[in-house]
Amino acid sequence: MRGRPATSRRNTELGLLVLAIVTTAGLYALAGLGHNASLPANLVPLLVFFCALLVTAHMAVRRLAPGADGVLLPIAGLLNGLGYVFIARVDEDLAGLQATWTAVGIGAFVATLVVVRRLRDLDRYRYTFAVVGVGLLLLPLLPGIGRNINGARLWVSLGPINVQPGEAAKIALAIFFASYLVEKRDLLSVATFRVGPLLLPDPKHLGPLLIAWGGSLVVMVAERDLGSSLLFFALFVVVLWVATQRAAYLGLGGAMFGAGALIAWNAFDHVSARVRIWLDPWPEAQDAGFQVVQAAFAFGWGGLAGTGPGLGQPTIIPAAETDFIFAVIGEELGLLGTTAVLAGFLLMVGTGLRIAMRADGAFEKLVAVGLTTILAVQSFIIIGGVVRLVPLTGITLPFVSYGGSSLIANYVLLALLLRISDRTTSLSGGPPRPVAAGERAR
Amino acid sequence: MNSRIRRLGVVVAALYAALFVQLNLLHLVRADEYSAHPANSRAIKRDFEQPRGTIQTADGVVVARSVIVNGPFERQREYPEGELFAPVTGFFSFTFGTDGVERSYNAELTGRDIEVRIRNIADLFVDRRPTGNITLTVAKSVQQAAAQALGDRRGAVVAVNPQTGAVLALWSSPSFDPNELSQHDQSAVTAARQAMLDNPAKPLTNRAIRERYFPGSTFKIVTATAALETGTVTPTEPVYPTLSALDLPTTNRPLTNFGGSSCGGNLFRVIQVSCNTAFGQMGLDVGAEALADAAAGYGFGQVPPLDLPAVVAATFPPLEAFDRNLPAVAQSAIGQFDVQATPLQMALMAAAVVNGGSIVRPQVVAEVRDDAGEVIARLEPREWRRAMGSETADLLEQAMIGVVDGGTATVLRTPGVSVGAKTGTAELGGEGPASHAWIIAFAPADDPKVAVAVFVEGDETTGTQTGGRIAGPIAKAVIDAVLALPDPRP
Repeated sequence: MRGRPATSRRNTELGLLVLAIVTTAGLYALAGLGHNASLPANLVPLLVFFCALLVTAHMAVRRLAPGADGVLLPIAGLLNGLGYVFIARVDEDLAGLQATWTAVGIGAFVATLVVVRRLRDLDRYRYTFAVVGVGLLLLPLLPGIGRNINGARLWVSLGPINVQPGEAAKIALAIFFASYLVEKRDLLSVATFRVGPLLLPDPKHLGPLLIAWGGSLVVMVAERDLGSSLLFFALFVVVLWVATQRAAYLGLGGAMFGAGALIAWNAFDHVSARVRIWLDPWPEAQDAGFQVVQAAFAFGWGGLAGTGPGLGQPTIIPAAETDFIFAVIGEELGLLGTTAVLAGFLLMVGTGLRIAMRADGAFEKLVAVGLTTILAVQSFIIIGGVVRLVPLTGITLPFVSYGGSSLIANYVLLALLLRISDRTTSLSGGPPRPVAAGERAR
Repeated sequence: MNSRIRRLGVVVAALYAALFVQLNLLHLVRADEYSAHPANSRAIKRDFEQPRGTIQTADGVVVARSVIVNGPFERQREYPEGELFAPVTGFFSFTFGTDGVERSYNAELTGRDIEVRIRNIADLFVDRRPTGNITLTVAKSVQQAAAQALGDRRGAVVAVNPQTGAVLALWSSPSFDPNELSQHDQSAVTAARQAMLDNPAKPLTNRAIRERYFPGSTFKIVTATAALETGTVTPTEPVYPTLSALDLPTTNRPLTNFGGSSCGGNLFRVIQVSCNTAFGQMGLDVGAEALADAAAGYGFGQVPPLDLPAVVAATFPPLEAFDRNLPAVAQSAIGQFDVQATPLQMALMAAAVVNGGSIVRPQVVAEVRDDAGEVIARLEPREWRRAMGSETADLLEQAMIGVVDGGTATVLRTPGVSVGAKTGTAELGGEGPASHAWIIAFAPADDPKVAVAVFVEGDETTGTQTGGRIAGPIAKAVIDAVLALPDPRP
């Protein structure tokens, strides 16, 4: 798409958004017909609502980042819409809340585009992001506001609303890692230390890796949140590897992760239980293994084409609206539907990596890599957990699962990726941007 | 950095490929295994949401149907005849599963086993799932006659057509109302089921097919079969001495006749008066092995292939039980010791005698029709087993007719119809007199239309119930009801 006029990208985006809306509306109508044999009463208002939200987002991109990638927003909108349809299948009230969260998410998306005019500006707030990221991550541990939900302490109560600060932390930390590693990467990529066939950096530069590892362990042990723990560590190791171009960090990171996992498996019941159920859930099909076993049943029941929207039994699986939404999709849309979701995430990840490759500055590249890694790893570990490819670690499926914190954070993440892609276009010979001109005049 | 980013893309693609492979495994390869897994409630929930065929009796009375309701599920199962057909239809409960025809014909009722006939091009585009409607072999008039004749007493009645295997009545008393187990309010269902389980009369227990009882003197038909088949006894030889008690080897407790009376004579005579001393001697003469063979011939030790779930087999003790225990052989020969049978098995025994020694597979379902009224499946008579040679069967048939003509079952005499029977009074040997009352019977002997077994459960409160006096009139009512049915054949 390099060199294509910005208006063409925007028109592509608009066309794809219409497709996403039509698909969502069609699924929602079918789900209503399948379940109640009547069209959902709120079909038209909801359609107008989603149209308005996505058009708002689209207009914001048109004005604020006209040269940005045109595929990411429609895919996110489609996944969000798909998620809404299936959350409504599980719980109508939650679906209403999710619509509200979507509006807030789009608001955050627009606000991010407004506030972050140049990604490089964020570089200056490196340590602010570090403090905010770590602070948010550890916030649930504070007595008084931290709350345990379903055995994991990753929630913070703010009045009537429960917030998962970890969702925001992942973005702050991705920016911090990028910023930090841009500066230190030369130092960290000098190999001076040889262990067998491996060339390792000077041990004194291993500090950051150890801190990230330790932080992940704290999250896992104190908050019992395996998913976030794995996500943060993977994020750091991947960005470190891309920044330094040293495979040794991957190996070292993998070894440290393995060691951590082994310790956790031996020391913590909730970790060893997850592994046991991953290996063989059938003896515990009625208790500890219930969720994954019922998810397997849902996939099997769905078969190739699914039961059809509205015709499955999504309420059997616990946490069907959040961690296990993918199994609900599998039951009602079958292999065709789950493959479409996989393809959607793969497209987003591919687009994110392409944006990273085309970004000019090292900071932009690393932020794009970090944000894309978050999307890729988070969707992989939750889908992998639900289909029992990897042990289950509860985390939301980006854009699809129910959850305000997750939705808002992912729309911010999306806006940042779009912002990076827009810089690329404007600096690589794209058409002049009226807004950029205004910026200079200011 | 771009080469690393490209490599990262390859790794992510590989991870997603692994997800795709696993999805194929779950969605397609393991799908059937998962769908059949007992922990998977989707099948029963689906059955609850879907249309379900009706069940009607042979005489056209609807005994189970689905009605559209406003509830947690769109449809609710209804049993218009209440408890009368519960032993046959079973129930259709969300919490406690299904039983009876509702279970054994679930696939037909939901239409899953019914091929959709494409009648016109429009059928290709509609998800037309025809349900199967079931017609039972049981007629309401016969079932009602059995239930009314047994009344409040605990017991069971099984009547079959000896030539086709069609079950004409299958009643267990007390019964239960399947509507209570099939309603949508699951706490009400749980409470209703608990009340049934707590009831000492055990209404949920299907006595006709799932409980075994001492058959008492009705088992003498098996002993006589063993004696005739081995040639130990002929219609004229031996003539058993008239005794009031038979001394048994290795014990000083003799075998006595009912009420302390004396009896003896040839085979016909000792069957007619149900002579314990003669049959005890006959058992000792033929031996345990021949008795076991004859019992196995009738199906003891085998689950009868009735099309209802969880039927149990009648039992005859293993041969080792008779080692160095000759009295047990004599006791078994008169249906005591460890011989136990279901009322279904005893009805099949009468059917074998009147059907030339052949037992036809019993079935409660006559036919399945799709929603357009076309017959999809129909009961075809098939032999289950041969119990004995036809000469033996003819002799036993004559002997059982003799029991009605001038023996312990004269209550069954029916003008113009040759009826045969054998009574049984199984003493329970507890404190005070108590006995189960049995009768097995058939009619008419020349063109058999019904073989019936009646069982009336005894305990301390019932005292001694003799087969002829207590069970006889019930069998009479059932036989009369069957003979009153319109002849299905042209």
